[in-house]
Parts: sequence; C-alpha cells; structure tokens
Amino acid sequence: MGVTVLQPYPLPEGKSGAHIIDHLAKRLLSLGATHAGQFLVDCETFISTPQHGTPARAVHVLHNSEYPASTFSIIDNGNGKQVALVADSIFDLLMLKMTSTFTSKKQTKIESRGARFEYGDFVIKLGSVTMMEHFKGILIEIEYRPCVTLSYCWEMIREMLQGFLGINVAKEYPTYFTTQTIMNAMGQQQLHAKQNDIYEPMDTVKQYLEHFTNYRKHVQIHGAMGGGASSVGTVGGGGPGGVLLPSSVGMGGRS
Amino acid sequence: MAISSARESLSHALTNRFLPNLEYLLQGSILDSAVEHLMHRLKGLCDNVDTSPEPFHDLEVCMSLRQSQSNQPLLLRVRRALGRDAPFQMRYLGQPEVDIRRPTLVRSCMDCACTNGILDFLSEMGFRLEFEYIAKGYMFRKGRMKITVSKLIKIVPGKQQDMANEPISQSYIVELSVVAPTGQENVGEEMRVFAEQLKPLVQLEKIDYKRLGNLP
Amino acid sequence: MDKLNLTLTAVKNLRANVRQCFEHLADGTDGEGVDESRNKFVYDFQDRFGAINSQLREVEQLINGLQVPPTAYHLGNTTFLAQETSQDRQALYPQLVNSYKWIDKVHDHSFLAFNNLNQNTLRRSYNYCSQKRQRLPFSSFNNDPDHIEKLLSEINHPPHTFYKVFRPFGSNAVAMVTISNVLKAAIVFKGVLIEWVTIKGYDEQLDHEDLWAESRYEVFRKVQEHAHSAMLHFFSPTLPDLAVKSYVTWLNSHIKLFLEPCKRCSKYIANGLPPTWRDLRTLEPFHEECRNS
Repeated sequence: MGVTVLQPYPLPEGKSGAHIIDHLAKRLLSLGATHAGQFLVDCETFISTPQHGTPARAVHVLHNSEYPASTFSIIDNGNGKQVALVADSIFDLLMLKMTSTFTSKKQTKIESRGARFEYGDFVIKLGSVTMMEHFKGILIEIEYRPCVTLSYCWEMIREMLQGFLGINVAKEYPTYFTTQTIMNAMGQQQLHAKQNDIYEPMDTVKQYLEHFTNYRKHVQIHGAMGGGASSVGTVGGGGPGGVLLPSSVGMGGRS
Repeated sequence: MAISSARESLSHALTNRFLPNLEYLLQGSILDSAVEHLMHRLKGLCDNVDTSPEPFHDLEVCMSLRQSQSNQPLLLRVRRALGRDAPFQMRYLGQPEVDIRRPTLVRSCMDCACTNGILDFLSEMGFRLEFEYIAKGYMFRKGRMKITVSKLIKIVPGKQQDMANEPISQSYIVELSVVAPTGQENVGEEMRVFAEQLKPLVQLEKIDYKRLGNLP
Repeated sequence: MDKLNLTLTAVKNLRANVRQCFEHLADGTDGEGVDESRNKFVYDFQDRFGAINSQLREVEQLINGLQVPPTAYHLGNTTFLAQETSQDRQALYPQLVNSYKWIDKVHDHSFLAFNNLNQNTLRRSYNYCSQKRQRLPFSSFNNDPDHIEKLLSEINHPPHTFYKVFRPFGSNAVAMVTISNVLKAAIVFKGVLIEWVTIKGYDEQLDHEDLWAESRYEVFRKVQEHAHSAMLHFFSPTLPDLAVKSYVTWLNSHIKLFLEPCKRCSKYIANGLPPTWRDLRTLEPFHEECRNS
C-alpha cells in the first residue's frame, strides 16, 4: 500500500472520453508500463430524513477493487463532522437493514472504472467516471506503492503524471492533503496537513469521494437536480470543481 | 474481463448460499462451583486440545436505532477484545425463531469486522446505547460448532476498564452455536447430539426470549 | 538329527583333545632333566595320543553312520548366505566403476572451485591462509558481543533513524535499521563484519525469522543490490569499526530516496525507478543508468 493521488484529466473540445483513454493507454504502454487488469471504485450515498432539529445525515458507502473484501464508509453528520469506517463487505447488507431511516439516493450512484497499469512500482489507473450510465469525465489514479508519505514522493508522482499526461501539474500538494481537519484533544476541529502522515487505504477512498462529490455537484448546479445538494456538498470542503487543475473546471458540462 | 462490483459478488454469495447468515443456538448455565467439571468435559470432547481452552475477555456494546416504519428498533452489537489488539466485531441478530420441529433456536445473523471508529460511526448515524456488559470466559471448538463458557460482568457506566465491575450472577453462561449459510438443516441435529453429551452437567436448551418478558 | 548332533560333539571333542595334546607338547617338561619327569611326559603324551586315535575312530564310525537327509535342513536366514556369490551375476562392477568416476569428477570440480574461490579477494569472513605463508587470522569476526552494541551507539545517526540490535544466532548480531518512514534494513553482522543486508519497504514485514526474503517492491530490491556492492566496497579488515561506520552513514543517505532527483539527468524517474544509487563518497543520488555515463 502506498501513496495515491487522483488527477482529473481535462477533456479537450470535440474529443470523446473513450478516445482520450485509448490515447493515454497507448502512451503508458509505449513508456514501458504493462497492462494489469481492471479496476472499479463505486460510491453509493444514503441520506437520512431530517428529524426535528437534526440536519440530514449522509452515509457514503464506497468499494475499491484494490481491497475487494472491504467496504469503506464515511458518515457526514451534517454539522461538518465526518467519521470514517472500514468494515467487511457484509456491511452492505447491514446498510440494507436501515432502509427505513437511510434511503439510497440511486440517482447519485457514481463509479469510476477502467484499465489498470503497472510501471515499476507505480500503479496507474485510467478511470472513466459514470453516474447513472452517463459519462462524467476522466479521473486518473496514480499510486506509488513503496512510499508511505506523500511529502517524500510527491515530486516523483508529479513528474510521472506530467510525463505521460503531457499537462502541467501544480507544484503544491494536492488539496486533499492540505485541507484536512482533525479533532484535537479539546474536541475542536483543526486544520491538519496530511502530507507527512502515513498513508492509509481510507485516504484513497476519501479522495475518490471528494472528486465524486464534485462531479455530482456539477450536475446539481448545471442540471436542475437541486434537492439534497447541501447535504452532499458539505463533504468536499467547498473547493472548486477541478481540485488540481484550473482547466478542469467545467469539464462535466462538455460530456 | 469486466470486474464485478462488490454488491454483485455479495448477492452472488447470498444466492449461491455460501454466505453464513443463520445462527443456530443452544444456551444453558452452570454454577461457579461446577464449572471446573464442565471445562474438563469440554477439554476432552473438543477439537482444540493443544491450545484449549482459548480465553477471551470482550466488551459488548449494544446500540439501537429507532426505525420510523416499525416499532422494533434495530439492534447492533459491537464487541471489542479487551487487552488484545483485534478488529471490532459488529453483529446483527434477527428475531429468534423457536420452532418445535427444530432442535435449536435459529436466528439470522451477520458478523462484520470493523475498524475502531465503529461506535463513533454508529452514534453519528443516530444509534443510541442500549446496554453494555463484559463477557469473560473460554471458547472451545468442535468441528464447526463453537462452545463458549463465559461470565457476564455488569458495567458501571463509563468504567469499562474498571476491575471493580461485578459479575451478574453466581453462574456461567454456556452457549453452543453454529453460524451457517441458509439451507443446512443438519446443523441442528449435530448440535443436539453434542448437547446430549454434556448432560447432566449442563442442560443446553433453546430459550424463548419472548417468554422471558421484557428483559433486555 | 540326534546322530548329527552326536557327530558334531565328537568332532568338537576331537578338536579339543588335539589342541590339548599340542599344548602339552608345547609346554614340554619342566626342564630339570630328571628322567622321571621326562618319562611322565612321554606317558602323558602317549595317553593323549591314544585318546585322540580312539576319538578319531569314533568320529569316523559316526560319520559312516550318518544318512543323507531326505530334505534340506531349514536353516533360517543363514540360507541366504550361500546364495549367488558369483560376482559376474551381481552387476556390481559397472556401478562401482560409475561411482568411482563420479567421485573422481567431484574431486576435480571441487578442486577447481576451491582454487577459483580462493582467488576471490572479496571473500571476507573466512580468510583462507595457505600453509606456505601462515598469517595471523583476522580477529575482526570474533569480537566480544558488547562491542557491536557500543559501535552502533557511537554512530551519530540522524534523528529519523532507529537501530535495534538483537542476536538470533548466538553471539552474532543483527541490526534492524528503520530510516524515517522510507525503508527498513536488516544488517547481519559476523563479529563486526557485515555479512548480509536486506532492504525492505516501510510497510513491509521484516521478520527476525526471515531475514532473507526480498522486498516486494522493485525499488527496494534495487537498493538492496546496491547495498551489497557498497558493503563490499566499504569492507576493510584492518579497520572494521570504521568500515561499519562509513557503511551505515552511506545507508542513512537513503532517507531522501524518493526526494532527490538524479545528479546527472536531474530527473526523478528512470525506468520506473527513482535514483537508487548513492555515490560512495559524496552520497549523491544517481540512477543506475546514469552513474557510469
């Protein structure tokens, strides 16, 4: 398990997602990477009906094919507090026991799937994000397995990304790592820079959730699916759509 | 080859009946003074002779969630091993069925290992603490049957680690259980035969909770 | 059967008597030259001789009285003794020749290997001293156990590096080194000489029982390769303490394994790997491909 960074890839005008993915795969192969299977990350969100005074709570349930026996879930209590949980995949069945309190928002079921490549100790995944069978954009996952802290290998990952994507990647750490809050000993929320922490599989899942939320928000802003936007929207921390790239803002609209 | 989603593989496990989701249970109790005899008997009967008896010391917390459409709250039990680093175990238990034709009590059951954030997670979901207790005792294994002999210890709220917590009674609870996939009816018979062998030390029976009234 | 037993007893008696007779003869007289004793000796001899004669006759009679047995006697396992002793039928000879050839070959090969290995100057712990020039053996590999502990504690290591010394093989030490959150290394000592180094990732298990399994990551397998060549480079039998110190300093420079670009090409990645080679003197990072060009 190593450090993973997600990078949305901007869709140029007039090109289809499949075309871009094909192009990137060819680049990776000519670089010397090998094709190593498929991957899938999916996310389903359950929303509780708001009751007298308490805001609506959202439970995001995610799966990552890299950890096939686990279910990752993150609860957002509506007041900015998040609790993350890793459980056996049977947790999905338990969620179904609570359907009268937590209802699944089927129309926001979102996933990223595609091919998986290995290059040295790097694992690169070219994911196409779809929500309700609608193509939303390209999300690239890059993992450097031998390293456990981002600050040590960010420059390497950045060079690798720029190398095969052919785009400029900002020198700063990805926003996910710099904008995390933790609970301090006094029970208050505190800004905490994560780039020196030991990386955990949950961090990958949280990054996916952050990006998925951005893709969903786009629909809700541009499309007219206003309801429930506030409850889902609290997760992303309120950044603009493209977390890493200014150019990626607005890619949802072109798909 | 397309990769299947976690939900797909889970429903595959359910339909093909290799997901263990039914618990067959027999219960009984034995006085402190006689528990030594039972332990000797079990050591002789069970599989894990070289390592037995395996001790355990768990804190069980039962959390409940009010469901809007039913008057029965949803109960989830979370178990944590005290003095050992192990994942938390969350367990869902369905309504027990006491069928005259079956030799054991049968209830649906789901076990799920979790990270230590589970209690916080459940309270954020709206679960409230129902009750908690400490179970301390020994576990034996015979084939796929699990036999536990344990002492239940009452907890003064907020003092889970305190050694001053009192046992609930002067006896040990003995449980014989198997968690198996649906459709394996011979399990009950297997358990009945084993329970016969523990007589007259302990009388293992299917206990009908409904008859016990409103005990927690 | 009885008859046979009788005969055998008779033969035994005969032999005993003959032996006694000869012993008697060998003993001779008591040598005083007295006629009396000489006569007594002769009479004794005649008596014994007569007894031998009569016993011989008895044996002959008994033998004549023996009948050829109708069936062979059952002799138990001893019957096998007499089976097929002819060498030609046993096919022993070709096998013998084969094994002789093998031994000859093994001898030849081991002799050549021995000579070759002896020329290898990189062999360190067991220095073979030829009979011709008898040298004092190195004392560097049987140092007292506390020495290595002292040595490691003396190394002024950066604050991110941790050492743990333990001794699974009697007096020889193994040092577990954790360099920040980057890597783990196990250095196996023989006395104060470094015998083996294993490099693994920070999230990998480095068991005390299994110090030889390779890392699952390519980068650490490469670093281990380099660590081995550095180990040979820093080897110095005369100043073993200094060798260990400079080696550990070199190893510590891997703290920036993923952080520093290659000195030559100023890139981080080449062939999917970061600069894995650290220069032995300057500790500067290089890619394996860039280091010699």
